[in-house]
Amino acid sequence: MATEAVRNAEQTAQSGVIASTVGSLHPIVPWIIAWLCLLPVPFFLMNTYTQFVVNVICINIILAVGLNIVKGFAGQVTVGHIALAAIGAYASAVFSTKLGLPFWVALPAAMLVTGFAGAIVGIPSFRLEGAYLALATLGLAESVRIVISGTEWLGAGIGYEGIPPPSIGGVSLGDHRSYYYITMPLALLGLYFSFSILSSDIGRAFKALREDPLAAAASGVNVRKYKVIAFVISALYAGCAGSLQAHMSPGFLHPNSYTITEMVTLLLMVVFGGIGHIWGGVIGAIVVTIIDDLTRDYYQYRMAMFGSVIVLTVMFMPRGIGGIIDDMIVRRRFKAIRRRRAEQAAAAPGGEA
Amino acid sequence: MLLEARNLTKRFGGMTALSKVDLCVRPGEVRGIIGPNGSGKSTLFNVISGVYRPEPGASIVFNGEDITDREAHEIARRGVARTFQLLRIFTGMSVLENMLIGHHSLIGYGSASAVVGSRKVWAEERRVRAEMMELLAFIGLADYADMPAGELSGGQRRLLALGRAMAMKPKLLMLDEPAAGLSPVNVDILLNTVLALKNRFGLTVIIIEHILKVVMETCEIVSVLEHGEKIAEGSPAEIKEDHRVIEAYLGKEMRDEEVRAFLQSA
Repeated sequence: MATEAVRNAEQTAQSGVIASTVGSLHPIVPWIIAWLCLLPVPFFLMNTYTQFVVNVICINIILAVGLNIVKGFAGQVTVGHIALAAIGAYASAVFSTKLGLPFWVALPAAMLVTGFAGAIVGIPSFRLEGAYLALATLGLAESVRIVISGTEWLGAGIGYEGIPPPSIGGVSLGDHRSYYYITMPLALLGLYFSFSILSSDIGRAFKALREDPLAAAASGVNVRKYKVIAFVISALYAGCAGSLQAHMSPGFLHPNSYTITEMVTLLLMVVFGGIGHIWGGVIGAIVVTIIDDLTRDYYQYRMAMFGSVIVLTVMFMPRGIGGIIDDMIVRRRFKAIRRRRAEQAAAAPGGEA
Repeated sequence: MLLEARNLTKRFGGMTALSKVDLCVRPGEVRGIIGPNGSGKSTLFNVISGVYRPEPGASIVFNGEDITDREAHEIARRGVARTFQLLRIFTGMSVLENMLIGHHSLIGYGSASAVVGSRKVWAEERRVRAEMMELLAFIGLADYADMPAGELSGGQRRLLALGRAMAMKPKLLMLDEPAAGLSPVNVDILLNTVLALKNRFGLTVIIIEHILKVVMETCEIVSVLEHGEKIAEGSPAEIKEDHRVIEAYLGKEMRDEEVRAFLQSA
């Protein structure tokens, strides 16, 4: 009976020739296909502004997917993510203007700096949980913004100007259309890494410490280590997104782009899309960025609007759009199991179910 | 001795939950721990498994190694698995994922290769998944592998908690009231599963249990705790006759015959 169940599971896993062919390929293959499909997108867009919005969507996907790792999967309630993006953005700006490093060096360097900052943001999580951790990270985040607005050589309240766009062999990639060929592949790469991390043992350890840190520790999971790993990974994403924001035309940064409003917008992407659901973060980033753009004339009402959408989402679909999709899948599996049981009972009448 | 815990004391503020308790367990033994509510049984487990630090002066040696001041995950890694009274299964994760978390310290690929998603990770994932499916089949939950653990019934959750502990390939399995709240039939199923696992994997088992029948039938030696102190230790037959045990369980007023009748019926 038990071995039979194993065989059943194996058969379901092996069903379908196509599935098994795709399954034997390297997991990056679908992402290369996606990349190829997304290559011609700029030629279907009406104007430069739409292209700009698409680039912002790509950057927000990187931010949201990164935030989802620490918040959605590892369950650490952080509101410091936007400050990490700020650190990445300003670090990248400083590296390229003050040190004259090319974008291709400034980006990974900024990510490293942000990763280090992420480890520091993660330290309070050893002792704090939930709302208290949120407060601690909020304090860190706001202090980053205030330090930037008060530091002369970072442009203070005026903003940081003249960040050069990336270039290849002297050819500038400053216009929005060419910039897309940097943001889009990086967003895909971020998604790919996110999937491989979260489907591995690291991802499971994150979920375990979200669900029950004590039980995770009793199962051999080093809770502190994985908390730091989660914060650092998500900080690397934020650093990458920040660097992309810095080098995007017109190459200008302002501390007002990293306020609590931006953090709420980012949270909305993750919450609306589905906490702990990778595709949810993507859907959330797309939907929220577009809405954010369409309603830019009503900027002053943005907080009220997004705030109430978060409340409504938490009340009526707590796991977001991704959660609804997951529930549908689970319900189908339940039906399959019930059907199999019924068949077995019919095949062996009087036998124990 | 597989486990040699000496002089374990644990205080919470002014309350002494555990006072100078020794617990020595031979390899292959099935040890029972009984005692009234609040007698320190779970605290004893928590101290041994590293959830709580014992007061200074204690020493816990497991498999020849001093683990007194180790953290919970380090102790787990050395082969001490435990279940919780409140189970603490990961309800938001699938049944199989619960098992895989139990197997966490035995998964043989590094963080870097997991991020990149190498073939080695894939092969290893496939291997451990197959292994965990086998273990799930052994405890009878293979059908539910992909279900969220929160959808399981009470009895299935207890089996999963046991399975997750077994996924660690432990040398010592500590069960905190494994049969609580189960119907008599399910108690038997669970105990048979425990004994089958013990024989198959050569385990040493410590069971905390309220249901006296369970302890009396399955354990070779029983330790009795009361008010955080160990008041008796011996074979089930000896324990049944022990006056202090009878008092601890039933109070001094009860007449001897009644007590004996109660314990015999257990």
